Amino acid sequence: MSTALVARPSPGTQVAAGPAGVMPAPRRRGLFRRVGSLRHTSPGRLELLLGLLVTLGVLAGLLAGITGAATSAGTSDLGDRAQPLLVEAETIYSALADADTTAAQAFLAGGLEPAALTQRYNDDLERATTAISAAARLTADGSEGAASVRALSNGVARYSALVATARADNRQGLPVGSSYLSAASDLNRQTLLPQAQNLFRTAQRGVHDGYRSAASIVWAGLLVVLILALAGALLLAQRYLSRTTHRTFNVPLVGATALTVVLAIGTVFVLVGQSSHLDQADKAGSTPVAQLAEARILALRERGDEALTLAAHGSGSQYTADFADASAQLTTALGNRYFTDDLRDKHKAYLAVHDKVSSLDAAGSYDDAVKLAISTPTGQTFEAVTAGIGSALDERKAAFNEQIHAAGRGLGLLGVLGPIAALAICVLAGMGIRARLQEYR
Amino acid sequence: MRTRIGLAVVGTAAILLALAGCSGDSSALPGSATAPAPGATSPAPAAAPDTSCNPRASLKPAASLPPPGHMPAGTYMAKIQAQGRLILGTSQDTLLFSSRNPFTGKVEGFDVDMGRQIAQAIFGTPDKLQIKVIGYDKRVSSAMDGSVDIVADTMTANCKRWKDVNFSSIYYEAGQKVLVSSDSKAKSIDDLGGKKVCAASGSTSFDNIGKVKSKPIPVAKAAFGDCLVAFQQNEVDAISTDDTILAGMAAQDPYAKVVGSKFTEEPYGMAMSKSHPEFTAFVNAVLAKNRADGTWTATYKKWLGAFGPAPTPPVAEYK
Repeated sequence: MSTALVARPSPGTQVAAGPAGVMPAPRRRGLFRRVGSLRHTSPGRLELLLGLLVTLGVLAGLLAGITGAATSAGTSDLGDRAQPLLVEAETIYSALADADTTAAQAFLAGGLEPAALTQRYNDDLERATTAISAAARLTADGSEGAASVRALSNGVARYSALVATARADNRQGLPVGSSYLSAASDLNRQTLLPQAQNLFRTAQRGVHDGYRSAASIVWAGLLVVLILALAGALLLAQRYLSRTTHRTFNVPLVGATALTVVLAIGTVFVLVGQSSHLDQADKAGSTPVAQLAEARILALRERGDEALTLAAHGSGSQYTADFADASAQLTTALGNRYFTDDLRDKHKAYLAVHDKVSSLDAAGSYDDAVKLAISTPTGQTFEAVTAGIGSALDERKAAFNEQIHAAGRGLGLLGVLGPIAALAICVLAGMGIRARLQEYR
Repeated sequence: MRTRIGLAVVGTAAILLALAGCSGDSSALPGSATAPAPGATSPAPAAAPDTSCNPRASLKPAASLPPPGHMPAGTYMAKIQAQGRLILGTSQDTLLFSSRNPFTGKVEGFDVDMGRQIAQAIFGTPDKLQIKVIGYDKRVSSAMDGSVDIVADTMTANCKRWKDVNFSSIYYEAGQKVLVSSDSKAKSIDDLGGKKVCAASGSTSFDNIGKVKSKPIPVAKAAFGDCLVAFQQNEVDAISTDDTILAGMAAQDPYAKVVGSKFTEEPYGMAMSKSHPEFTAFVNAVLAKNRADGTWTATYKKWLGAFGPAPTPPVAEYK
């Protein structure tokens, strides 16, 4: 390996400066011959051995540094950017969906908008805008996610302007207010929510990639191979020395070997630890977070469809169809192990109330259907579902943070101590072989 | 500014009195073009004449009305009585005709009252009415497929629609005009060449915009309320539909005015399925009674009284 690096014959005439400061073309052939001729003499063979050990040591040190930096950067990117972006995307979606539902319910209530609904709408908008600005910081310029964030922040401004106009018209008793509200709702459902969903998908892909780059399999693999090669080379060197000289042990080389073993054990320990914590972060954190977030999105879609079906007053068959679709998906989603039976029961309770609302509406008791749909008990029944999902979501987020924090532990140390250990190995190898070389002077 | 709008409204009302036209739905159903009534006295609409029928002529009314709550067995009215309510298909954003009252959340207006009067005749109480909001482009199909019992939704009776549904006798006469912003110099739709003019998709108004010689650009929205939103957001330059609907919009926007004279005539009828003609005859009898006993005039005053004194009700024509 060292000969290859130090004296690789040039295939062409044009040669750039090589890694080991290779001579210009005309002299290379001479250098190669000189290095090649080293193997014919005992001191020459020792020099070659030294070169091999030092090269392997330097490369192992370099790779330890790179691996430490890559895995630690990947892990903190996953923990500080990719996963939080997923959470923000879900917040944007649920806040906007809830704002739309709230606005539709206020419309259904008729008359003066109930103060509680106004407050809720304002809170939703605040949550959405806060999450959008947080997401803006978490997306790279020019990325797909950044485009979604831009569309969202523009759209939310237009959305809130339309709702404000609808409210002003409503206060003056102008029926056009309801048209503004439906324009706002269209903007929300046809532009904003799909963009939020797009951001959510982008973030999900980001998390997936994040796990890959956090593991940095290629660098970690190369590092392990090199450390093994270094250990092997050290052992071979010692066998050669004990055969050609009369000393059984070369103390500095034994030290170098011991240090290499320590480095190998440390590296494997850190990397295996990281990978098991990453696995845990994925299994106990990211995967359930994504599932729960999707479930909350579906639940909010149900409630929104219910309000819009009523607001459309008979022309809302597309909302009824969307409700059926969301509810089927949610029932399937709730079937997996991240959800409790309690949550499934709460969702069933809400579906029962919704069925009552639909049958009242279908039987012509529109006013009663509206009254039931926007009543406080119905609101509480539904919120029990989202709140249940929300608290499960918080638990999973905490689990993720804990695991990702644990996964990051020791990676920085590998990046710093790895190269230092490699340097020490090189120095020890140099000391051990130089002592033998001096015997030939 | 206020007085000018007042004048515009008064002008609208004056023309209303003369005789009016409509916003119909021109659902994509096969059939020939809209036709002016041969007997009509007002100027011919821009549509290609279709004299295949007299759209104003409906079925002869029932000789006598059964007492409320005792509909003859086997009739469609008995079926409605059994289902416990009359299902009326209408819109919720046509101010004065059928719009949602923001204070109460109830849909109300001239068209809704027409439905309430039919409910009154069937049940003895006008409240046994279920309102089902339908899209403008669903008016013909909703009446045909029985998803509603009757459609009263500023719907023009024309020969094309007569092929698919039965219309009641004419209960209102409207005509198409154009609404522009108060600082517009346009005097009529002819001055709006190349400008965007909005109408509800599926309405005859939308088709009529395309027939104007100066070639305005027709823009379709789901409902007329959406047209007003687009107008207020400067997405379109004008809205063109029946004078009555426009008057309702102008009343909501002090920066809008209705200009020009009616360039179509739109007689409104209530649409019902062809499969039970006895219901159409029944509805015509109810309308005839209400014309005679002043109910029609009272309804006009209630919703459209602001535009001037009530005209005489449209004269019913029968086949």
